Amino acid sequence: MAGQDDSGKKSNENEVPTFNAENLQSNMKVVYYSRTFMSIIGGVIAGILGFTGLMGFVVYVLVMAITSVCLTAKAGFSIRSYFDSWNRVLLDGFLGGALSFVLFWTFAYDIVHIF
Amino acid sequence: MAEELVLDTAIRDWVLIPLSVVMVLIGVLRYFVSKLMRTTQLPDAKVIKEGQVIIRARNLRGAANFIPAKAFRARKMYYTNEENGLLHVPKDQATNPQAAMFSDPNMAMDMMKKNLSMIIPQTLTFAWVNFFFSGFVAAKIPFPLTQRFRSMLQNGIDLSTVDVSYVSSRSWYFLNLFGLRGLFSLILGEENATDDTQRMMQMSGFGFDPSKSLGAEKDGLGIVQHDWVLPKFEQRAEAVLRKRLS
Repeated sequence: MAGQDDSGKKSNENEVPTFNAENLQSNMKVVYYSRTFMSIIGGVIAGILGFTGLMGFVVYVLVMAITSVCLTAKAGFSIRSYFDSWNRVLLDGFLGGALSFVLFWTFAYDIVHIF
Repeated sequence: MAEELVLDTAIRDWVLIPLSVVMVLIGVLRYFVSKLMRTTQLPDAKVIKEGQVIIRARNLRGAANFIPAKAFRARKMYYTNEENGLLHVPKDQATNPQAAMFSDPNMAMDMMKKNLSMIIPQTLTFAWVNFFFSGFVAAKIPFPLTQRFRSMLQNGIDLSTVDVSYVSSRSWYFLNLFGLRGLFSLILGEENATDDTQRMMQMSGFGFDPSKSLGAEKDGLGIVQHDWVLPKFEQRAEAVLRKRLS
């Protein structure tokens, strides 16, 4: 799911955390792409299964949670060595994906169920 | 709540799907056209130099704690020296970017091209949608909304009795316009995703003055509290090397 370049840098033994800004940015980009991708896929799935109302948003939250878990697994459960805070993995891009999700949800739902 | 509307499948086949596909294709087309029209501007050597100096100073500021105090002082002096420091800008030498803009027609031309490549396709698509698809109930949003969204979602239908979750074709166009941004960033790469926001940045930061940011960086460097974080690194390096040897 995530790209190959999860190459954060962290000094071992040292108490002071050091980050390579470019690698951090690249990791965040990977998170953003994964989230966008998952929100589109999740939207299509929610639409095809015919979820309406609040149920759809529950699906969205669920999909985002799955994405977060997968990203964490991809990072080997050591978020600290790839990102500077947990929020980067858990929250970043959450609202940005919502619009794509709603669009594709509506699209798939209309095509399958409305007509 | 009003009773369910029955929508003709022809609307799906001839309005909803074509509209969405066309929106995607136009987005792709726009990306390539703007890529073709982009001119590689020959950068000014002085501007590049100043930019590099700023980056170096910023790096120094970021990594200040990883070098000894003496080394940091020497570097700081090198940058912020009042006489010939790299970040020091003489008062009279500061250039006026506004004047530079007017003297360089290429710059204005470039701006215009960028703006046109954004505005023209949008206007054309909107006109096209208006002409062919006005007045259709094209879609239904799968969640309920309040009456306030009526003007947003049922643009082009003047019926107050239709349930708000039904979307007119014109509003579907707007939904696509905003919602497809994520898809574009996936299929076209990051450049497209940031394009619009970057454009805004350029617009607002047009009167960008390099000498000002030089001064700001100088001030920033001036207030850095130096605190060396590796006081024992020699011993540690020794220990590591000894371990390697033994």
